[in-house]
Amino acid sequence: MAPVLDVRDLSIRFGGLRALDDVSLDVGEWEIVGLIGPNGAGKTTLFNCLTGIYRPDKGTVKYRAKDITRSATHRRVALGIGRTWQNLGVIRSLTVMENVMTAQHAHVRYGAFSGLLGSPASFLEERELRANAHEILDFLGLLPLAEEPVGGLPYGVQKLCDLAMALATDPDVLLLDEPSSGMGPQEAERLGETLRFLRDSLNLTILMIEHHVPLVVGVCDYVYVLNFGKLLAKGPPSEIQRHPEVVAAYLGEEADAAS
Amino acid sequence: MATRSARVGDEGPAGGETRRETGVVPIPDSADAPTVTRAPATEEVATRLRSTRSLPAKAAPAGAPARGFRLSRVGIASRATVAALIAAGVLLLPIPLDNVWRSRMALAVIFAVIGLSVNVITGHAGQISLGHQAFVGIGAFMSAYVVARFNFAAGFLAAGLTGAMLALILGLVALRIRGLYLALITLAFGLMAENTIFGIRGFTGGGAGAPAPRPALFQSDLAYVYLCLAVLAASLLVDWRLLRTKAGRAVVALRNDERVAATLGINVTQFKLLAFVVGGFMAGMAGSLFAHWNQFVQAEDFELRRALVWVLMAVVGGLGSRAGIVIGSAFFALFDFVVADIAGGSTWHLPLVGDVLVIILAPLFGAFLLLLTLTLYPGGIGQQLLPVRRWLAGGPFLERAHRPSREKKEERD
Repeated sequence: MAPVLDVRDLSIRFGGLRALDDVSLDVGEWEIVGLIGPNGAGKTTLFNCLTGIYRPDKGTVKYRAKDITRSATHRRVALGIGRTWQNLGVIRSLTVMENVMTAQHAHVRYGAFSGLLGSPASFLEERELRANAHEILDFLGLLPLAEEPVGGLPYGVQKLCDLAMALATDPDVLLLDEPSSGMGPQEAERLGETLRFLRDSLNLTILMIEHHVPLVVGVCDYVYVLNFGKLLAKGPPSEIQRHPEVVAAYLGEEADAAS
Repeated sequence: MATRSARVGDEGPAGGETRRETGVVPIPDSADAPTVTRAPATEEVATRLRSTRSLPAKAAPAGAPARGFRLSRVGIASRATVAALIAAGVLLLPIPLDNVWRSRMALAVIFAVIGLSVNVITGHAGQISLGHQAFVGIGAFMSAYVVARFNFAAGFLAAGLTGAMLALILGLVALRIRGLYLALITLAFGLMAENTIFGIRGFTGGGAGAPAPRPALFQSDLAYVYLCLAVLAASLLVDWRLLRTKAGRAVVALRNDERVAATLGINVTQFKLLAFVVGGFMAGMAGSLFAHWNQFVQAEDFELRRALVWVLMAVVGGLGSRAGIVIGSAFFALFDFVVADIAGGSTWHLPLVGDVLVIILAPLFGAFLLLLTLTLYPGGIGQQLLPVRRWLAGGPFLERAHRPSREKKEERD
């Protein structure tokens, strides 16, 4: 069985900066894989390569043995790659419900113009989309806020709305960019439970960027560590925690001095 | 998971060589593969999920317009009555008017269609268009050209299609260029159209212009107002459906952030072009109506000044608000006439002062309104109309006034 995501020798440079340098990783079915590293290590850049926002200079990205290195972002979404954003991908002017309906875009069957001209099929399907969104919001406990404009909601709720949107794209593999940012330690711990639960109930595979170490240790099956665009280490969380270079990178010291 | 350990096995040492010391920790073979059983998302599942997360319950009612508000039968009846009165008022308005005002009303309605077309491109898609006179103008000339050879319906349709085509070309530019530079390019595009396309003698009659006769059915000013109103109604309908179907949501999402929109599965290229095409089609139709309103087309009618007024009226009306844009557009269409009427009124006609009023006051007033809008009501007339809209949609006229104090109290607690 091929891994869900198979990344080989990914490199990208911006001017003189090697943002990613021969990074290889794979994410197996139903795994929750953590991606950690100091700021500027290239974690979000890697996400952008996986979702097709950046085109890597070198290397391949395979999704279930299918090479998607050059395919457009929206096609990857249709294949089943969903993501959340560190700075939130919500549309602040729309309501929570409208945001989640927008996120179902890839699965709408009626044509854009038939919707514009008000075809009966579009009305029927809109009802279906609303029902789907209703279900997702109920699932995440956002239903009471469904008709609120997202811009006016607290950060934590917006974050949840972002997750709801990612789920609405009906992903197979979910890329989470710092899901615990803006949360207290206790909330972060609960988030771990939520993620496991999402994985189990929605049959997801998760790759997440995360800084909160207890969360990573508690929930991840496997961890990759990036530093200055290079893969510094990989392994199960318990080993990564003790890895001297990882400790050094996080403390900002020279690896040699630490070891 | 066998593939993973195998791959890591033969890749691990190779990776280690390129890095100093032992950069890579090999995965132990005992790494337990997650054995997950699939479970459907049941109600039980949902409750469990909810219990794992703390959602601030007090945030729930904040800002909800219609929460805890139930319509009585009287409420429904009164709202229906007001809505019907507004519709009847607009529909019956042309009948008591004289021909001069009927003609002016037709222009106001045409401006409203143009305002809606600006709204699709600039309001929904967020692509500033300062070359709108090109779309409207090409529609006007195309309509006059085709009507002279075929009939009005063909001319009207051709006007919409050429407007859409021209907008599509500009849309292709907008795929690459954003913000201020796009504004400059659209500006240059409009000027170019003015000086080249509108000057083709065989097509537009050159500087002399071209006649644009009305069809027999809509010869009278009264009938023509209703034709324009019908086109406005169709445009409003399309705008309404746009925002409530996938196309509009995609367009709004790409205005918000193109990269995020793409990760929601939206083909950004396709839907940006769609916005231009829809806006261009509306502008072309409006151009056709404009040509036959005047019964004559000339390039002077489609100067940059006009395009600026059209953007102005859409902004003052409130981008994104249909009702606001219709009112704003009508205001800007009629304002010049009203000022001219007053300044040229026989009762207190002052030479010079009257002319100064018309030439200086009208543009100045437009600029003043824009400033007022940007500082006080960024949502334009649409924002000011919000209570009315909320009320008509079945909510309370005013939001409950005691809410802020209650929130404060909760914070203290």
